[in-house]
Amino acid sequence: MSVAAPKCLLWSDREDYTLEDYEAGIPRWCTGCGDLAILAAVQRLCRDEQLPLEKIVFVSGIGCSSRFPHYMKTYGFHGLHGRALPVAEGIKLKRPDLHVFVNTGDGDCCSIGAAHWLHAIRYNMNMTVLLHDNEIYGLTKNQTSPTSRKGLKSNTAPRGAYLEALNPLSTTLGVANVSFVAQAVDWVPTLLYEIISQAFHHKGLSFIRVVQRCPEFLPTLLDPWVQDPERLLVLTHEDGVQASEELSRTYRQQDAHDPSELNRAREIASLTDQIPVGILYRNDDVPCYEDIRCSERLVTPKTIRASLEAELDKFTVWPPSEGREGPG
Amino acid sequence: MSTGLRELVRFHLTGESNGDTRREQPGLRSALLAPYRDLSELRYDYPLVLIERDADGVFVRSLSSVVNSVLEEIAPAGAEGERLRKHFLRLDATMRALISKGVEATLSELWSLAERELLSKSDEAAAELLRDSLSRPGGAPRVDGVVIDCDDDAPTRLFEHAWRMAQQERSRRALAEIDELVLKLSDILKADFLKSEKSQAPKSLEGSMGTRFEDAFDFEAMSRILKTALPKSALSERRRERIQSAISVLESQRFFAVATDAAGDADPSAPHSFVFDSCTRAWEVFRERTPEVIELLKAIGTAELELENRYRESEHDALFSRFDETSLTPEDLAFFPSYLIRLHDTDCQGPEKASLIDALSSGLPLKILVQTSDILGEPSLGDGQFSLGARGLQLASMAVGLNGSFVLQSASSNLYQVRDRILRGLTYKGPALFSVFTGSHENASGLPAYLEAASAMQSRAFPTFAYDPTVGADWASRFDVEGNPQAEADWPVYSFSYEDADLQRVSEEIAFTFVDFAASDKRYAGHFAPVPRSDWNEGLIPANEYLELSDDEARGTVPCVVMVDEDDVLQKLVVDLKLIRAARRCGEMWRSLQELGGIHNSHALKLLERERARWEREKGHELEELRDQAARVPGGGAAEPAAVAAEATAAKDPPEADEQTRDEDEPYIETSRCTTCDECTKLNARMFAYNENKQAYIADPAAGTYRQIVEAAEACQVCIIHPGKPKNPNESGLDDLITRAAAFS
Repeated sequence: MSVAAPKCLLWSDREDYTLEDYEAGIPRWCTGCGDLAILAAVQRLCRDEQLPLEKIVFVSGIGCSSRFPHYMKTYGFHGLHGRALPVAEGIKLKRPDLHVFVNTGDGDCCSIGAAHWLHAIRYNMNMTVLLHDNEIYGLTKNQTSPTSRKGLKSNTAPRGAYLEALNPLSTTLGVANVSFVAQAVDWVPTLLYEIISQAFHHKGLSFIRVVQRCPEFLPTLLDPWVQDPERLLVLTHEDGVQASEELSRTYRQQDAHDPSELNRAREIASLTDQIPVGILYRNDDVPCYEDIRCSERLVTPKTIRASLEAELDKFTVWPPSEGREGPG
Repeated sequence: MSTGLRELVRFHLTGESNGDTRREQPGLRSALLAPYRDLSELRYDYPLVLIERDADGVFVRSLSSVVNSVLEEIAPAGAEGERLRKHFLRLDATMRALISKGVEATLSELWSLAERELLSKSDEAAAELLRDSLSRPGGAPRVDGVVIDCDDDAPTRLFEHAWRMAQQERSRRALAEIDELVLKLSDILKADFLKSEKSQAPKSLEGSMGTRFEDAFDFEAMSRILKTALPKSALSERRRERIQSAISVLESQRFFAVATDAAGDADPSAPHSFVFDSCTRAWEVFRERTPEVIELLKAIGTAELELENRYRESEHDALFSRFDETSLTPEDLAFFPSYLIRLHDTDCQGPEKASLIDALSSGLPLKILVQTSDILGEPSLGDGQFSLGARGLQLASMAVGLNGSFVLQSASSNLYQVRDRILRGLTYKGPALFSVFTGSHENASGLPAYLEAASAMQSRAFPTFAYDPTVGADWASRFDVEGNPQAEADWPVYSFSYEDADLQRVSEEIAFTFVDFAASDKRYAGHFAPVPRSDWNEGLIPANEYLELSDDEARGTVPCVVMVDEDDVLQKLVVDLKLIRAARRCGEMWRSLQELGGIHNSHALKLLERERARWEREKGHELEELRDQAARVPGGGAAEPAAVAAEATAAKDPPEADEQTRDEDEPYIETSRCTTCDECTKLNARMFAYNENKQAYIADPAAGTYRQIVEAAEACQVCIIHPGKPKNPNESGLDDLITRAAAFS
């Protein structure tokens, strides 16, 4: 917030944050877990944007990824299973000045929290949502999640998953008011950072699916993509991410995709052989729910009292001597 | 030379003639103005409706546009809507007539008045149809506001209205922000109170519970229990005082009010007034209020810091105590209402003029409207010079030179066209000068004010221009003469048709010059002499053509203007030399403005000429060289020299740089691809470390064994660790390790 206070008075105490300022504790994730890459990228973003610690809040549900808020020295809300998004929405409504991030896993978001997910996309509140998608329930030790691919064996499906996996990108792109959809992979940190950064700067709900490895339960699942850069399709565009020369030497499969093209985004989201990485869709013109619902009037005790008085006056029977109209 | 022409030349050169050749006829006007006898019959920009600003920032609309909007909504295209269009245009004409008669009303009042008048003049059947048309759903204007005509007061009313709209918006935002600060500061105090022992006293607890359940609780017991769990932290006394003081300043500020209240300063708590009729007084008041401005800014600063818990007494106490009027920036002042100063050009003399110049140079948000009602002034036949440089004109030109001021000059007839610029100037954070010619000087011309103002603009006597410091940093972006008719030309030229003695239609092109503007002014009658129709000959040439001639070329010719009398009979009048000189001066001033506005700019033209000459020279040389080369090479075509040149260029290009060579024996990590998975750092935190982006690099290859490097390479899921060669030849199992490392080389 800044109303009119002279800048010299306000900025004299600005701090210079380092990446370590955002670190809290040692992550308990398994060595090699993709969550570590996401954490590093997010901490780097906070440092690069010099976000004040007290102006950030990370909200999560339940799962491996949902331990995220514990490792950020900012505000955090480790919530109920599947309920990260409604909590985050409440925070954003009441405190629009905060930078709200949501960390949710494939089970948390796409299963028990699926209804909240769809409506959060439709509400399009200004926040950054990171879907840590490792295609398995890791915290509860190897159960099938909605994004587990068909045939994947787990403790809950020892003969292999019976259903086709839910595609979080296609689903999100099908919801009304969608305004930002991107995909990253945890093993290309440069693009991961770039995508998170663009999502952070987008006004509206930015949904990023991060395809991530689970070294414990699915250690080789993504090897074909990790070890073969040709199977990664980098989406480049002047309004999206731009691959550096160095990156382009490794990841040669690139598609100049205009993020404003929704139908093409849906086609890209459906690719199976290649993993698309970049911004699939962006529309800066979708209004945010907090802006639509923002009251022009400041709600103070005085205004509440006045509103109540006015409301009660409708039911007041006035003595005839006062000459005022009653309810009837 | 005929006798008649000789006589005319004599008048032109001396301003004197035999007999009564001087123009005595009243009601003469420029021929181009002949069609505009009764303005109330015409649909043009005026009257204006000063509407409350809507969502698009519109603060004024022309009556015509309001009526057109209604018609667009309710009248279908084609014959079907014809009756509605006819009726509403009659209503429009009636409203114009009422306004021209001096009726003061809002649009809704005027609309009803005109409806009643129309109905009263119609017979029963016609009235029924009219009533049906006017009562159609959507047949009422969507906007309302005072309706004004183009008169002496029009600029003042329009600018005051626009300024008030801009201030209301600013006040609304500022008040909302101030209220929010007060609310949040009060919340801090409230939270502190709730942590105090006082809040847990039985009486307080009872009050917070309401009356319905007061018998159900033992508040004494509740108080005893709650007091044992009171939080320890509390606001320091200094912080509490600071917050209370900020709240008090914020609540008692007098700069912003919900509704504009011109009550002035009599009531010590009344909002300040910001409208003045004197620069000197506005300047004084501004200085008097500066301490209040500083206090409010400090209170806002304190509030913002306190709300974010960033107030550090060790730093901010000193900063706030040093904050004085020298610390104020234009951005700080832009938060506050601007000052509107209404002046007449006759006021701008002596100390008032000095104050005005100070105000414009100050960078402060002072918005000055200078109205000019007379450009020509009383003629001074003796010295051969006309006042021409009206004060408003001088001020506007001077203000442009100050660079930091927003300047807009316009005739009042053109104000509707420049409405967006008016708003931009009023909302600009610095000073603004609006110089407006109202064209309503008494006794000067028989023209309505609108026509006189429009004539001044058309004749370049009072051209429109704007200097807007908010757009770009150069003159090309900031200054323009847009809005002037045919801005590329010296004088605007229009087609004029009339009926000759044989009742045949004749059309000719007539320029509207400064001479035409002066011709309508009866104070200048002495500078014109009518030419009897019998003396009309080739020696009489239009004034604009005469102005372009040199003295030699002009010999044997006489400048004239074409005018019409009250009966619309065409007249030609010879113009004397003094007026021609004044017109030349006016033309020169216009050309200076054109240059500033990028039209026929002499610097640009010179540069263009120079560049063209250089380009032609270079191309000539190149062509010669190519011809020489072609001549030297037997059978050589035009393509060969180009090929030679391409080779030469290629030879100059540096060879493509080799891939950066790396010592293959040294271990390294492709750091930018590191996924922060902790595999390597957990193996050996001294050998592998994270950089500032939390990506791994080899900090010290000697801090561990070759085995550890190889194992790290194998553990790394993105295969970015390259072990190099072992340093210690005595390490055990080296052969096996070298084989395993080969996969990562």
